[in-house]
Amino acid sequence: MNKYKLYISAALFSGCLFLGSCKKDFLKEDLETDRGMNYYQTDAGIQSLATGTYYQVLKTPFSAEWIYCNTIYGVDEFGVGGDGSNEVWNDYDGGFKSIVSSVNSNTSSTNDQWDNLYIGIGDANLIIQNATASTSTSDDIKKVALGEGYFFRGYSYLRLVSQYGGVPLVTTPSTTVNLEYTRATPEEIYTQIISDLKQAYDLLPSSGAPAKLTKDAAAHFLAKAYLYRASEINDSWNSATKAADLAAIVPLCDEVIASHPLAPDFADLWDYTAPDGANEKLSEIILSAQFTSDVSATGENHQHIYFGGRYDDLPQMQRDVTGDRPYSRLRPNYYMYRVYDLVNDSRFWKSFRTKYRLNKASGNYYANGDLGVIYIVNQPGDTRFSSYRLNDVVVDPETGKTIPSAYIAYPKGTTTDGALNVDVRYPSVSKFFDGSRNAVNDTRGFRDIILARSAETYLIAAEAKIRLAKLGTGSYADALPYINAVRARATYKSGENRETYYDGGGALAASTSGQSPTINSFMAENSYYESNNIDKTTAATSLDISSTSALPASDNYIISKLGLSSEYDKMLALVLDERSRELAGEFMRWEDLSRTETLVGRVDAFNFQASGNVQSYHELRPIPQTYLDGIQSAGKALTADEKQAQQNPGY
Amino acid sequence: MKTKIYEKLMAPWHKAGAVCQTRSRKVVAPSMAIMSLMIIGYSSASARTHPETKTNKTAWWQQIVMTGKVTDSSGAPLSGVSVYLKDTKTGVLTDASGHYSLPLKVSKGVLVFTFVGYESKEVSFEHQGELNVSLTSTSNTLNEIVVVGYGTQKRQDVTGAIAGISQKEIASRPVADALQAMQGKVAGVDITSTERPGTVDGITIRGVRSLTASNSPLFVVDGIPLTTGGIEYLNPTDIASIDVLKDASATAIYGSRGANGVVIVTTKQGKTGRTALDLNMSTTVENLQDKMTMMDAAQYIDFKRWSYYYKSPDVYPRGDQPTIENDKAIFLASSDPSAWANIEKGWASGSWDGSKVATTDWLGMVTQTGITKNLNLSVSGGTDKIKAYTSFGYLDNQGTQRGQEYKRYSANVNVDIKATKWFSMGGNLQASYSVQEYGQSSTGSNPLSSQGSIYEQARTELPYTVPYDADGNRIEYPGGDVAIKTVAGEWNLSQDQRVTLRAFGSFYAQIDFGEMLPVLKNLKYRVNFGPDISSYRDGVYIDSASVRSSGVNYASLGKTQKTSYTLDHLIYYNKSIGKHDLGLTLLGSWTQYNTETSSLAAYGIAFPSQKWNALTSSYISSTDLSGYSSGLTKSQLQSYMARLNYSYNDRYMLTLSARRDGASQLAEGHKYSWFPSAALAWRIDKESFMNASWVNDLKLRFGVGVTGNSAIDAYATQGALTSLFYPYESTLTSGTTPSTIMANQDLGWEKTTQYNIGVDFALFNRRISGSLDVYKSKTTDLLMEMDVPTVSGFTSTYANVGATANKGIDFSLTTQNISLKDFSWTTTTNLSWQNDHIVSLANGNQDDINNNWFIGQPIGVIYGYKSAGLWQASDEALYSIYNANGSSFSPGNVRVVDINGDSAFDANNDRIIIGNTRPRWIVGMTNTFTYKSFELSVFLYGRLKYMYDTGGENEGARGSQRLINYYTEVNTNADYQKPIRSDGSGDMYYGALGYKDGSFIKIRNISLGYNLSPQVLKKLSITNLKAYVQITNPGMLFSNINWLDMDLISPTYNRGITFGINASF
Repeated sequence: MNKYKLYISAALFSGCLFLGSCKKDFLKEDLETDRGMNYYQTDAGIQSLATGTYYQVLKTPFSAEWIYCNTIYGVDEFGVGGDGSNEVWNDYDGGFKSIVSSVNSNTSSTNDQWDNLYIGIGDANLIIQNATASTSTSDDIKKVALGEGYFFRGYSYLRLVSQYGGVPLVTTPSTTVNLEYTRATPEEIYTQIISDLKQAYDLLPSSGAPAKLTKDAAAHFLAKAYLYRASEINDSWNSATKAADLAAIVPLCDEVIASHPLAPDFADLWDYTAPDGANEKLSEIILSAQFTSDVSATGENHQHIYFGGRYDDLPQMQRDVTGDRPYSRLRPNYYMYRVYDLVNDSRFWKSFRTKYRLNKASGNYYANGDLGVIYIVNQPGDTRFSSYRLNDVVVDPETGKTIPSAYIAYPKGTTTDGALNVDVRYPSVSKFFDGSRNAVNDTRGFRDIILARSAETYLIAAEAKIRLAKLGTGSYADALPYINAVRARATYKSGENRETYYDGGGALAASTSGQSPTINSFMAENSYYESNNIDKTTAATSLDISSTSALPASDNYIISKLGLSSEYDKMLALVLDERSRELAGEFMRWEDLSRTETLVGRVDAFNFQASGNVQSYHELRPIPQTYLDGIQSAGKALTADEKQAQQNPGY
Repeated sequence: MKTKIYEKLMAPWHKAGAVCQTRSRKVVAPSMAIMSLMIIGYSSASARTHPETKTNKTAWWQQIVMTGKVTDSSGAPLSGVSVYLKDTKTGVLTDASGHYSLPLKVSKGVLVFTFVGYESKEVSFEHQGELNVSLTSTSNTLNEIVVVGYGTQKRQDVTGAIAGISQKEIASRPVADALQAMQGKVAGVDITSTERPGTVDGITIRGVRSLTASNSPLFVVDGIPLTTGGIEYLNPTDIASIDVLKDASATAIYGSRGANGVVIVTTKQGKTGRTALDLNMSTTVENLQDKMTMMDAAQYIDFKRWSYYYKSPDVYPRGDQPTIENDKAIFLASSDPSAWANIEKGWASGSWDGSKVATTDWLGMVTQTGITKNLNLSVSGGTDKIKAYTSFGYLDNQGTQRGQEYKRYSANVNVDIKATKWFSMGGNLQASYSVQEYGQSSTGSNPLSSQGSIYEQARTELPYTVPYDADGNRIEYPGGDVAIKTVAGEWNLSQDQRVTLRAFGSFYAQIDFGEMLPVLKNLKYRVNFGPDISSYRDGVYIDSASVRSSGVNYASLGKTQKTSYTLDHLIYYNKSIGKHDLGLTLLGSWTQYNTETSSLAAYGIAFPSQKWNALTSSYISSTDLSGYSSGLTKSQLQSYMARLNYSYNDRYMLTLSARRDGASQLAEGHKYSWFPSAALAWRIDKESFMNASWVNDLKLRFGVGVTGNSAIDAYATQGALTSLFYPYESTLTSGTTPSTIMANQDLGWEKTTQYNIGVDFALFNRRISGSLDVYKSKTTDLLMEMDVPTVSGFTSTYANVGATANKGIDFSLTTQNISLKDFSWTTTTNLSWQNDHIVSLANGNQDDINNNWFIGQPIGVIYGYKSAGLWQASDEALYSIYNANGSSFSPGNVRVVDINGDSAFDANNDRIIIGNTRPRWIVGMTNTFTYKSFELSVFLYGRLKYMYDTGGENEGARGSQRLINYYTEVNTNADYQKPIRSDGSGDMYYGALGYKDGSFIKIRNISLGYNLSPQVLKKLSITNLKAYVQITNPGMLFSNINWLDMDLISPTYNRGITFGINASF
């Protein structure tokens, strides 16, 4: 009897255990720490996606090297500095193919830009789909978010079409794996871009610039899209839209210019003293990619490290926060020393760092604070300096001491360009320097990156006027007011100290690095007087171009170097030169040269590393091999011939 | 002479055959080729197996007394052997000298001799007398117990492909973890080594099947799957046995987790009637060996000069025509005057003399003699009712690179109590605490260089540079290149300490219903509960002067807590009807797994002694916080299983099983799947027609099974959004973007179907034994993270796509080549061959170049340009044709093959598959020699027939350089291209010179042991005492890549010597 009791209790005991563990939803998987895609069906979700797309589209390019590889390498303005990790993008040599052989982790692959832009388009498609489907009556959803979606898509396709020509056109979010894609024509892509940017123009609000997308941002890029579509690279098909496009540009530009007056001084734009400081909120700025010192913000600005040339390995010098990490990727070509009126145009002296403060004094002669490095950007024929490099020879008149390192653009006896090209030294474009970083080698920068400012809007309008004149509407002189407006701002004002210099190196006070200011290499002074060899003056200068027949000497030099003769070509050269003077380094040069089909001529003439290699097929980028290898046609991977057919010619 | 040898060869079997009635007297001449290779001796013990039966007068009351002595095969007496009259309870045990005396009431019959660990023997007698018997050890025979998953079987009854290693083999050499103990010992198991203390090796069983899902096997410890991984925390001396389930008919019992094989670890338990104290101690002294020779200062200086020359021949002088001015410029004299002072010594005489330049031994700076101390103490004992085992282990493994160390304290308690006749309960609790000093951290704030270890970091230093200047100051950038920071003092500047506390339990309760109610005989219910808790802490501190630092102190603290449990309900039922034996196992199983993570990282640590322990708001400002996070992952598995074992007459065995698994991380509607298996075995040696005396065991097995793989991350089907902050000016706004991995709502199980045919054999009195398995498998619905065209807005997705196939052979063979009284030689060989290939991919039969997957090709291949050596000046006519078509070749450049012959090179037409990256052959061989009390064992290990991508030589001449035969105008017959000074691309096709055959065979270790004689031990009251010495990594037998140890896939390896003792009291 006892046995039965035991048996029963044991059975009950085991049965309880068995049943106790049978939970119906044992395998249910819940996302507890993240949200799922269905979040995008809510208003809050759509807005959060729009914010995420700001990050993806505007910000992510600037934590990578591909952005300068694709936009400012291989042009007249810049070449490879001391570090060749990405030289293939500048040199157009035999290695520039659909696969770029990667030899260090910094080398940009051909698909980096492509992937980045399409991921942004995917996000934009999701915004458009969800905001369109939303039953919300809120303007924030139906107008702002939707407008942002259209803007980001149009903006990204504009980047794609200007780099690759026709690309696959995807306008709805992908939910299942699709491997069958073909390239749309450039015409189809432009139709989409202009439709998207028009929608954005209609939907976006007027205020919020430069952090947020506005109607003006849409107008600026819509004007740019019209201009691109009307450019030479599209001449085989754009005749039907050209006149209307060009006619539409100027009113859009005028509207933008009206609400985004130029900053009074060109230096204001680059006088960065702290994250989110005054120079990042100027009325001139239409749109910028936002970075801030709060390290919780996702994404880092790395562009501060790519432009700086080596200074830290020179005598009496060391690396410091204000001098930045000199990755030496981008060297200004001699074109940049030629394109300015170096006496009257302040922009060269406000865009380039030409003096470094001595910051590692050893011995009794030098002290920190002396002039440590000077770049003398003189003109051919100057006989003052015997060599491109003079150590402890050139005397600083202020201290009477010799300067440990002096580099001379045109040493005695040279009338041709290139004396500095044998070394890894050059005056560095300082528009992105960041002295507010947390540590001397910290790659994380806090400065915003300007994506559109009204000085460019003026030049877009000017170029439209020139193109209209070519079509017979108006005259070439119609462009001059727009160009002169930009040039007027670039003059020296009466009483202005022409030696005064600002760049982001001056933001050390905002840095948490704890670096002592005594080892600053940043010097609030440029080599204006040493270079120009003129007496000190505070008189005002003028850069006004009064007539299309009296172009500035520097432009005439470039026009003659390029062998241009027609008035249109000369005027186009003028506007391209003006873009260099105003916008050097601001991530748009390659597209300007490619679309105007001036790439080959200008690179051959001014980029000593790529000269001779560049060919007309380089006006389009290679379609990434990863894309060609990954897609299929009718369920089959492409044959080598089919891939070649989808590839741009020449690659 | 031949005849004589033959007679000698056959003698033992003649004689043995005469002894046992179960063995036929017929002699089958062994004709196997292997026989002729063997030197067969016979032990004198064999001769003693003669029963010297004397005929005595039978007493009138018909009672006789059988007497005799029982010995082992070496003639040593065996005490405690059970001797009884067959089919009765009449019996005795042998005494300490192995003698027995058994009175019997019958005058003829059969005596049965049984003893644990020995093969039972039946001997017939007809009259009173003396019957001396020798018993054969059953180690490595079919009688051992094999763990098959949710139960055990005798090896003779096993139907699947199961291999294993015993405690004896584990104890045969000192190892840090269970995987090291298995390496090269089990056919079909490929284990790659690592020498960082505390880092576990990689393991695959029978090659790979999955493309991106895990290929790691399932580890089961005492019946509980290690859900959280971490076999390295188990003290190997606590392991009683390791069984590896290889084929699908065996692993299907673990269903979804069985696809990559199952490693079942059984820990030690107390034994009835024996109490023991065991002590194992060893000390290892190791030094790092480097197979890669770096250029010395003079060689490197020449190399750099040539590189500049080939960069711009019109600017720089030829490498063999140096000038001091040029050297000053290219060696950055102004940036590092100390390094330049060293180079200047070469110019002291006015002309260059490279031998005057000193070479700094940067590598020697970061190495140390590694000393490993290992101590294990265990006690065990048991009665009929209670068995217990407990142990303590201590391992202190100091690395051969400065800063690397691993300490592990482990404890194990195992108790088993039979409370009543029908209820037993027990548990095993293992706890370990380990501290791994990882050495130079691989994380860090902002690496200027990202080498994996301090040694590789030191390798990047330029040979002509010096660590300290004339004043004794540390030079931060020796050589003046900001990409090369000094490694001097690095061992004090970067710390990465990983502490793991692990507790793993396996508890059970079992009710034997048969003991309550006779009608329920052999019905048992068992519940297993296995909790597993792992707490992991990783503390990193990187000083501002460290190589890994961007110039400001950095610390991070990461914690991971994993908790999981497995709950199994099992019902067992056995029934024997005549010659039919039936066994039924039913299972319901639930597993839950949770991971909680948290981390904190910050810059600007106030003072170094804080390390990662003061990341508090009073020291770290919010802007210095570089990261903080916490996370939670949960997953569950629910399973039901039924298994039927049937055997007929001990000859024919059948195993059928079916398991249904559901996994939470798969998509709704696709969570569950069935995993069936079937296996047959036939013990041919039991058949009456199989009466060859030289066949001891012969079993044929056939099995088929389906296993699964759901080894993808939890939430992969959910499309979790990525959250971020975007600043509108300084206002951070929360935003999201979709994951770049497209959510797949149809994600289901990956399934592998495998067929296996195997044979187990033991021949010639077990002098030859082993098994041979041939398998073939096909994996379908591959779980892959596949790249998708980014045009879709996504970069990849998880999908069930495609299929792979895999086939192979596992062969293991143990031969007792020589077996004399004082000398024996045993060879154990494990050989496996495997070949996998891809059957189909995402869209049918289309290659996927982006993922390096090609239909019909092995899963791992190298795809690229095929090298044809170097362009020579004499090839100008040819290369100028290519140069006209877009290339820019010059003499000394790498020449690649123009596959399609169009006189141009492009990625679409000229890349081909160079070779497979997974070895076809894996070989392990252990030769053991014993002479009296000495035992010498030599272990060889090899991986053969595969390609390895060494990466080629960039020859950009910025960093340090391995000593190579490179092209210059004065050395045109070179292995590698001409150097071209570059920070970037260098020679476009240099990678093509890097594909090499990776085959090697290595002597892993040689160990020599000495067992103290029983006589001496008796005086010391010690049961067993073995002293041994082992040499690790004495050398390679051959390797095709002479600057890498392909066993470790590293240029460096540790060579060391271990002294140890194992004592039992």
